[in-house]
Amino acid sequence: MLERFMGPRRMYQIRRLVRHGKLTALCLVMTIVVLRGTIGAGKFGTPEQDFDNLRVHFYASRNHHRPNRVLEEVRSESSSEESVALTSEAGSNSYGTFDISKILVDEGEEEKRDPSKPYTLGPKISEWDEQRAGWLRKNPDFPSFIGPNKPRVLLVTGSSPKPCENPVGDHYLLKAIKNKIDYCRLHGIEVFYNMALLDAEMAGFWAKLPLIRKLLLSHPEVEFLWWMDSDAMFTDMAFELPWERYKDVNLVMHGWNEMVYNQKNWIGLNTGSFLLRNTQWALDLLDTLAPMGPKGKIREEAGKLLTRELKDRPVFEADDQSAMVYILATQRDKWGDKVYLESEYYLHGYWGILVDRYEEMIENYHPGLGDHRWPLVTHFVGCKPCGKFGDYPVERCLKQMDRAFNFGDNQILQMYGFSHKSLASRKVKRVRNETGNPLEVKDELGLLHPAFKAARASSS
Amino acid sequence: MGLDSNFSPQKRTSSLPTTVAKGRHSSGRGGPPRGRQIQKTFNNIKITILCGFVTILVLRGTIGVNLSSSESDAVNQNLIEETNRILAEIRSDSDPTDPAQPERDLFLNETYALGPRISSWDSDRKIWLENNPEFPNFVSRNRPRVLLLSGSPPNPCDNAIGDHYLLKAIKNKIDYCRLHGIEIVYNMAHLDRELAGYWAKLPMIRRLMLSHPEVEWIWWMDSDALFTDMVFEIPFEKYKEYNMVIHGYPDLFYDQKSWIALNTGSFLLRNCQWTLDLLDTWAPMGPKGPIREEAGKVVTKFLNGRPDFEADDQSALIYLLLTQKEKWMDKVHIENSYYLHGFWTGLVDTYEDLMAKYQPGYGDQRWPFVTHFVGCKPCGSYADYPVERCLRSMERAFNFADNQVLNLYGFGHRGLLSPKIKRKRNETVSPLEYVDKFDIRRSSSDGTSRLSR
Repeated sequence: MLERFMGPRRMYQIRRLVRHGKLTALCLVMTIVVLRGTIGAGKFGTPEQDFDNLRVHFYASRNHHRPNRVLEEVRSESSSEESVALTSEAGSNSYGTFDISKILVDEGEEEKRDPSKPYTLGPKISEWDEQRAGWLRKNPDFPSFIGPNKPRVLLVTGSSPKPCENPVGDHYLLKAIKNKIDYCRLHGIEVFYNMALLDAEMAGFWAKLPLIRKLLLSHPEVEFLWWMDSDAMFTDMAFELPWERYKDVNLVMHGWNEMVYNQKNWIGLNTGSFLLRNTQWALDLLDTLAPMGPKGKIREEAGKLLTRELKDRPVFEADDQSAMVYILATQRDKWGDKVYLESEYYLHGYWGILVDRYEEMIENYHPGLGDHRWPLVTHFVGCKPCGKFGDYPVERCLKQMDRAFNFGDNQILQMYGFSHKSLASRKVKRVRNETGNPLEVKDELGLLHPAFKAARASSS
Repeated sequence: MGLDSNFSPQKRTSSLPTTVAKGRHSSGRGGPPRGRQIQKTFNNIKITILCGFVTILVLRGTIGVNLSSSESDAVNQNLIEETNRILAEIRSDSDPTDPAQPERDLFLNETYALGPRISSWDSDRKIWLENNPEFPNFVSRNRPRVLLLSGSPPNPCDNAIGDHYLLKAIKNKIDYCRLHGIEIVYNMAHLDRELAGYWAKLPMIRRLMLSHPEVEWIWWMDSDALFTDMVFEIPFEKYKEYNMVIHGYPDLFYDQKSWIALNTGSFLLRNCQWTLDLLDTWAPMGPKGPIREEAGKVVTKFLNGRPDFEADDQSALIYLLLTQKEKWMDKVHIENSYYLHGFWTGLVDTYEDLMAKYQPGYGDQRWPFVTHFVGCKPCGSYADYPVERCLRSMERAFNFADNQVLNLYGFGHRGLLSPKIKRKRNETVSPLEYVDKFDIRRSSSDGTSRLSR
């Protein structure tokens, strides 16, 4: 019908146009499909995502939304005694097939902070020293010094309340806390193992700040708070910290003055193991460090500032150690006189240079030195046994952690006449026979009844 | 025919849509409309099929059948295999550095001894304490010095979740002991090859008693027992005349001779000669092998309700205390006025009820002192109960206790199954008033129990 209006030639041209149009549209669609397949179209999804969505849709009963675990569970052989699995109606009796996420409940809402106001750890307290002194006077049963030169110390460490992503991570955390319990029992130090995230904004390395502040304020009887990372182990059980050396300082960290103040090197000190005195000064320092911590943009921006200002720092979000270096280096006159950077013994000892020398140390030296000859602390920086990926090969990290643990444990076991068969072995052997006169036996290191544990006549 | 010859160049070159158009253009003027229509349709179909074919090829090329062909996936695969190998090695009991030594189990006619006989321990210890006044057998506020002993095997558990609950259990014990001035020894070494398994506590208890004369009481606690009352303190003055305190039921013990009349998951032993003698009498039923098997048969016959398996320390203790009543029972206190050991199944579901009605400090069914997860065996592969129930209950018990610790700091768990916490008290500029009110240590020190508040 249109032909009558426009004539056959016109009609023919229109039809040609339509054909060309169809072909163009077809080619366009094909191009988009090919490009989507090769370089992806971002928001609109790639064919892989389509495939995944289809898979999820059709196989929704399997747990595809569970995050990919690189390290899978090692299926154990069932023990010979319990080879019959008792499966009842209510569920299976086998731990091998259980998924912990089924029982942990994530309820409630996070506290929402007003984003327009700057972050604070809490309301500003300004006469903490007086408050604390008053409290100590009223409570003579809880003195802050438990010996003539011995302050009351609380060792604080912690880990996540959820199981580790690495199947053997929890085992190494258990060994590490046993190691710390042993040292602290010998030295009259109390232990606080934290598994609570007090402030969701200060997660990760920054979680220690609200925790430390809370503990200082809730335990006025504690003179020194000793923070120790969960991946650090005591390897010298006989070394007692030189408390008199620190009587005029408020913060003791392992590090070197030149590296912090002159070079502003981000590893000039280490915040994996440090002592903080319970004073107003400490509260002020925590308040100064905290603003770089809140998760998100603030931490990212702070990270960029720290990478710019500090030497050799890689690019990543702000961490408490870099923040400490920065604050000390830029505000030395305010904080420097109360900070002691200890390098005479390994208040923190980087594991890489220590672990291969243990046998050499056993042959040539003895516990009680605390330094390069017999390190107080071996700190497995970068190993991250609880996480999926560390900065070092898994095998080296775990094997060396076993060795460091046994190295320290030998000093405990020798009190009772035992020792590990070798630094790599979990088995122990007797090194001192049982006797009918146990009280006459003195252990080699004198750790059974050491002088630093001796109580005052009326102490608690 | 003519039509065919006209259209054959079309067919040959019709792989690309553009040539079709050209072809059609060149022969557009002639031919009947019907034939042309058929050709048109045919061409369209060809184009459609071709495009469909190309699309499928392209899609197959991108998402394809082989998903792990990308480089990062291959690296992941290697990492998984490597780590699995390491984990298997760590988990295995084999020790590459240990030369295989021929070790045999004791024969039935050999007697096992924990160590050389000691017979003057009470007087030796007294002299030592007099000579060492800086290590008294009491701590502040005239409480006796107590040492809590617990432990677990030196190798990783069969499943990762087992180690996680061992970690939570030791944290729980650390918290209680810090609040009550008790020292902890966590043993991860097999001191005695023969007394392995449940019996491993005996040589360790003896060793600690002899090495630490300043310790008045040794408190053994299983690794699957959790403190659920952080305020309750053991009434040691009540036990002045006793040397052993163990949870149990006298009627089950004396009348029924039940194998679960007493529970050796949590008990106290005084550091004295009596205890050394008890351990020396108890241990011989323990050595692995024929002795333990035989002893198992003896106790099964003697005790009520005991299944047939090798001798365990609990049955052996009940057997020896019953058969030698006159010698031992005057110094043994069977305690059931509070849950020195609380069997978990009857307790864990009541926590919310208890929180609504009572407060910490009772130690009994109103607020159990210890919740003991007998039969759950989280470090092994199989439990005697459904795993979900065990783990759920252990998490609840742990959080129930943790709430009492966090109370001082103004926090509490969001729910008994939640690892996250919520604030219960706002931060303040005078935190010391809360310390006075909520610190468990202080409330038990000034004599006023929390219950009177």
